[in-house]
Amino acid sequence: MKATKRYLYDGTADGLFSAISWILEEEADPENVVLAEREQTLFEDGLFINTDSIQAEQLFSRLRNRASDAAYTLYLFMLAEKEGMESSLLHYISLVYRYGDTVSGYLTHPAVRDIVSIAKKAGRELHRMKGLLRFEKLQDGAYLAKMEPDHNIIQPLASYFRTRLRAQHWFLYDVKRRTAARWSNGVLQFGTIEQFITPALSEDEKKVQLLWQTFFKTIAIADRKNPRLQKSNMPMKYWKYLTEKQGE
Amino acid sequence: MDTLAKLQILSGAARYDASCASSGSKREASVGGIGNTSQSGICHSWSDDGRCISLLKILLSNDCRYDCAYCVNRSSNAVERASFTAREVVDLTLEFYRRNYIEGLFLSSAVMQSPDVTMDRMVKVVETLRQEEQFGGYIHLKIIPGCSSDLVRKAGLYADRISVNIELPSQVSLQRLAPQKHKNAILEPMALIGREITSSLVERKADRRAPRFAPAGQSTQMIIGASPENDFQILRLSQGLYKKMHLKRVYYSAYVPVCEDNRLPVLASPPLLREHRLYQADWLLRFYGFSAEEILSDDLPFLDETFDPKTAWALRHPEFFPVEINRADYATLLRVPGIGVTSAKRIIAARRFSAITPEGMKRIGVVMKRAKYFITSSGRTFEKSLVGTPALVRQQLLLGDATATLPPRQLVFPGFSL
Repeated sequence: MKATKRYLYDGTADGLFSAISWILEEEADPENVVLAEREQTLFEDGLFINTDSIQAEQLFSRLRNRASDAAYTLYLFMLAEKEGMESSLLHYISLVYRYGDTVSGYLTHPAVRDIVSIAKKAGRELHRMKGLLRFEKLQDGAYLAKMEPDHNIIQPLASYFRTRLRAQHWFLYDVKRRTAARWSNGVLQFGTIEQFITPALSEDEKKVQLLWQTFFKTIAIADRKNPRLQKSNMPMKYWKYLTEKQGE
Repeated sequence: MDTLAKLQILSGAARYDASCASSGSKREASVGGIGNTSQSGICHSWSDDGRCISLLKILLSNDCRYDCAYCVNRSSNAVERASFTAREVVDLTLEFYRRNYIEGLFLSSAVMQSPDVTMDRMVKVVETLRQEEQFGGYIHLKIIPGCSSDLVRKAGLYADRISVNIELPSQVSLQRLAPQKHKNAILEPMALIGREITSSLVERKADRRAPRFAPAGQSTQMIIGASPENDFQILRLSQGLYKKMHLKRVYYSAYVPVCEDNRLPVLASPPLLREHRLYQADWLLRFYGFSAEEILSDDLPFLDETFDPKTAWALRHPEFFPVEINRADYATLLRVPGIGVTSAKRIIAARRFSAITPEGMKRIGVVMKRAKYFITSSGRTFEKSLVGTPALVRQQLLLGDATATLPPRQLVFPGFSL
């Protein structure tokens, strides 16, 4: 067996994908390559690959053309913001080149399993938040939803709500990451928020919330109470911003 | 009476309707309108009984002129009565939808003056939502048996899913417990809906602008344990509904005693395990290629309480096993206890790259707890001494179960159907 080769990149997403693109072109056997983020130490071992954002973009568009499902898996994987997965990513992409979309079924391969299972978790949370996000109506008539998801899903979540709630003005705010999305007059914008000031709610907001809380209580069948099932479907980490779970 | 008080009464009265699915329909939001639907359906919350909340599930009225023994809203029951106006339901739906509490509306009703009057009012509500408010979210509308076929047709044009409740598994029980309801009044609209769905699909193939009729299909519900039918009768009924009436779903609802009546059985608690087993068997009918006659028979009319229906079938059919996971086709893999639709698909996808080892089964996420007694991998058995000896496997499964968690108390109603 050949000795493992080691490469480094600058730690950015562009750097990562241009490095992968470079390795796939230059290395005959990417499975024997290790890729890691450069750390600023004297004894760092490995060859540094320069960042080239055009090459990174080309890699992605090639993937989209070659295997759109696998490209979407990669997109979801990136939402997870996982560190230390560079080599798995490299091996996964090299397998996508070889097998196309069917690669996601190759779950006995450790790199495929790593990438697919993380992507699946991100996808699951994205789907969950489509249901669990709660908007509150503000004094000026706009709607605001706060959240603290594990994955960085604000972008796909916002594009989902832009079609669903297209006729109202709304904001999404990721409290942990301090990022926000704003939909107003047909324009969707993203940004970061330095200091969040809680805006005043509209007059009728508490009334509507009370209606929902009432519905939530009465719709349950008391004889079938099952808090364990409730928590496994709706983990407590999401309760903080759920209108129906306030004060519990 | 204010909206809050009405909501309390009319959502409380609707809680025994099992369906909460919001799947099977895909509609884009209209310009200037609000809402769309998603093919997979979306759960928005889970209530204290662990069931998914996807739709605002309410009755238009609980003021019923019928007197069905099992029903909390029966006319002889002394409960507080209330009725929503159409505007109240429309506003509640929109306010909840704008805040992302719900996927849409599930509207049912007690029978007011007559089936026609009731159904007409229900149709008015969804007409207002769709036409005036341009609401594009999910709507599930219940059909009141006995209403005119014109109203059924109208309902199907506005709603994503419509349903007629079959209520009880046999004509005899219906007559005894719900004397004002008739089998034909239930089956006729079901058949009509089935025909309309089919012809709408045909028309839409020719012209994509042809109107859609109940794009998420029709479903029904029956109460389990309030009448003496056995599981075999129930499963055969469901099988007929799926095959002949093309229903999307049959829901089973464990009988919860809500009023005293000497025609009803006295139960210590709702038969939740039975309900759960029926749902498992129902899944076998719809996704696993089983027939009701394979699962049960006249000699064996009730589902096993200890084992899920597929394991029970496998223990009765040792000649079918072991199944070789690297060669068996999809239909055969699905017959292995513990291997579901997802696992079977994963096995087939993974073995295209290399033969799957026992270690590989774990890696692709197949749960081996039950499957290991029924499969081989490249000729090798997993539990060598046990394959082909149902008595020992039975014992081993029981022992395994004793240390593991108790059987689930109730089924999760997913917001999506597979």
